[in-house]
Amino acid sequence: MKYFVKKIITLIMTLFLVSVAAFLAFQVIPGDVVTSILGTEAPPEREEQLREELGLNKPPVVRYMRWASGVIKGDFGRSYRYSKNMNEMMPVKELIGDKLPVTLWLAALSLILIVLVSIPLGVLWARSTNRFVDAALNCITQVSMAVPSFFLGVLVTYLFGIVFHLFAPGGYISYHDNFKGFLGYLLFPALSIAIPKIAMTARFLRNSMLTEMKSDYVRTAYSKGCSKRRVMYGHVLRNAMMPVVTFLGMIIAEIVAGSIVVEQVFGLPGIGRLLISSINTRDFPVTEILILYITFVVIFVYFLVDILYRVIDPRISEK
Amino acid sequence: MIKIENLSVAFDGTEVVKNVNLEITDGEILGIVGESGSGKSVTALTLMGLVSETAEVTSGRIVVDDCVLREAGKPVDKKLYRTMQGDNMSMIFQEPMTSLNPTQKVGKQVGEMLKLHTVLTKEEIKAKVLETFEAVGLRNPELVYNCYPHQLSGGMRQRVMIAMAVILHPDLVVADEPTTALDVSIQNQIVALLKDINTKENNSMIFITHDLNLARRICDRVAVMKDGRIVELGATEDIFLRPQESYTKNLMEAVPSRLKRRVSAMKNADNKEPIVQVKDLSVFYEDRGSNPFAKKVRKCIVKNATFDIYKGESLGLVGESGCGKTTLSKAILGMNMITTGEVIQTTVRPQMIFQDPYSSLNPSKTIGWLLQEPLRARGILDPSQKMTKADMEAAAYEMLKRVGLEEKYFTRKPSQLSGGQRQRISIGQALITRPGLIVADEPVSALDVTVQAQIMELMQNLQQEMELSYLFISHDINVVYKMCDRIMVMKEGQILEIGETEEIFAHPQNEYTQTLFRDSL
Repeated sequence: MKYFVKKIITLIMTLFLVSVAAFLAFQVIPGDVVTSILGTEAPPEREEQLREELGLNKPPVVRYMRWASGVIKGDFGRSYRYSKNMNEMMPVKELIGDKLPVTLWLAALSLILIVLVSIPLGVLWARSTNRFVDAALNCITQVSMAVPSFFLGVLVTYLFGIVFHLFAPGGYISYHDNFKGFLGYLLFPALSIAIPKIAMTARFLRNSMLTEMKSDYVRTAYSKGCSKRRVMYGHVLRNAMMPVVTFLGMIIAEIVAGSIVVEQVFGLPGIGRLLISSINTRDFPVTEILILYITFVVIFVYFLVDILYRVIDPRISEK
Repeated sequence: MIKIENLSVAFDGTEVVKNVNLEITDGEILGIVGESGSGKSVTALTLMGLVSETAEVTSGRIVVDDCVLREAGKPVDKKLYRTMQGDNMSMIFQEPMTSLNPTQKVGKQVGEMLKLHTVLTKEEIKAKVLETFEAVGLRNPELVYNCYPHQLSGGMRQRVMIAMAVILHPDLVVADEPTTALDVSIQNQIVALLKDINTKENNSMIFITHDLNLARRICDRVAVMKDGRIVELGATEDIFLRPQESYTKNLMEAVPSRLKRRVSAMKNADNKEPIVQVKDLSVFYEDRGSNPFAKKVRKCIVKNATFDIYKGESLGLVGESGCGKTTLSKAILGMNMITTGEVIQTTVRPQMIFQDPYSSLNPSKTIGWLLQEPLRARGILDPSQKMTKADMEAAAYEMLKRVGLEEKYFTRKPSQLSGGQRQRISIGQALITRPGLIVADEPVSALDVTVQAQIMELMQNLQQEMELSYLFISHDINVVYKMCDRIMVMKEGQILEIGETEEIFAHPQNEYTQTLFRDSL
């Protein structure tokens, strides 16, 4: 219980510090949202008026306080750039709420692919004594790790979209319209995200298992008359998973935070694209919330990893 | 009956076991003694079928009850081995902490033996495990059953290992240095337990050890191994009292023993000049766990220590692990800790020699660089003592000679040196700033007996030449007996007794001292 309270306090402190840092960054970076909305030719009166409307004429401290108190109350503010209709700007909540499911589903699918493929692959690889299997896997994973994801995206689009017609490239299906179709479309971007990570995780697990195989307790297990299979699954796997869990945690954080490039390549309306465009247009309210979201996800995933770690390794919860 | 006939084992073409013949009869304890690298472990692991797959049996065979288990030139019958391992022969390893799976409860790990070799139900397995736990002297077996290895003490873990090894009543138990990682008093309990099991079960046992005193106490017969060969094999008392081979004689000579007379390094005992005075010293650790807001908890590690170390003497410090020996020595060295009381030093900063020469030397530097490092550090701390590069090099060469190594070692890396040579370098590092006091923390514990004897001799010679004082920390009472003029006994942070070596051995005042000395005999 104490542990959870501690974690939550850390989470809140981190979110606060990150929000201040992001706010300050926006003060420092060159560029002005007013000029970016109205262009350089606008009359000064109009600029002044817009500044007033957006609350930009107030000192930074006041602006931050106003924004922060809104966020605490659940009001995330309105976008500077996206409008809902003629005379109303789009609330950040609605803007992100629309795009978040896309990113989250993409992340979930990628993660499922990674875990389902990499763990059995890593174990089989560690078990194999065949030199050719070893060399082949070594080569394949090496290449998969090296290929940049945008190129992999193009490759997947070409192979599955154009050659095999398994999906229509560029034909994004909204989850409002057809959820099954949406998932079917997402499978391919998820694949381009997952392939390099699968290669990394499988390699990592294999090395971890081979290291564990040299431990004293493995020798003990053999001395009892355990078969190699039993030693691998009964003794080594759980110990070997410990570093892999940390590694997977880092990967999850990276994916959930938005696979920007892959979203671009497959034309997905996720938050990765939104983040880029909002930074470009100095859309402060949107950027700030997105940064907080990413921070939250990273911390939360590490928290989950921490718990998982305790489940796997009984030595940790003792301390 | 187990027969090892003309067995040779090679790794990458180099034979590490050469033409070994051994016969183990029912009910006997056969000791295999020898220094590290003598092939004693490889012989046992080959017998058990646990030697790594890169090892090749180049000649001979292993026969267990007329069944040929392994023969040169024939592939290993893993299936046959698996039925024998655990059931007919089992093994106890040196390090019970790492030899148990850290993520599995010990009850399940012991139960796995029964799961593999019997058809008992879950409940029957548990009952049998609890019964065996009780038999190996684990109090509260029910509680131990659900513990993970890290929740048990070293002695308890080794008892769990023993329970695992004997639960199926095998014909042969191989114990590979089963007590080396344990404290002296626990060592004795474990040895007594093994002997007890041997008497009750009438099984055979192979007892591998580098500790000759231990072998003498437990074994019926002893085989002495050197460079992969058995040099001598015979009844224990014959080997110890009437060794035939010169190697065995040397080995027996090197064993530190209380039966041999001690030569004190103190020349004139009247003229005692204290080099370090410790007055009412208490040492604390502050700990607040992982919570940055929690109040610090002060733990007293050393309580009110008062003693002097005289010029030119060796003061032995003995006690079990965790008694505060190392903490006390660090406080004398001035390594930042919270202390009360006084430590008055009359010479330059004391230096330290560590236990493990393998890990205490930076592997990426040359010996020359390592020897000069204390001089460089001193030059930075105190610019007036700064030396030129040539001077430092000359000092390093001189020190190399002093510790008995040739000049060619100057440019080598630690990995190219043997354990004894590395410990010589550690000694050289400690001496190069010419301190009056050296704190030696188990300096010979990681070394083989013959090397141990050489290092102790070197330390004694250097003491004479340079008028050094030693604070000599060791858990090996016999080593302390050989090295030290006075002995200080510690328990739970307190100094129980301090006195002249001969005197304290002859008439230990304290009960704890008495048991400690008796246990180490």
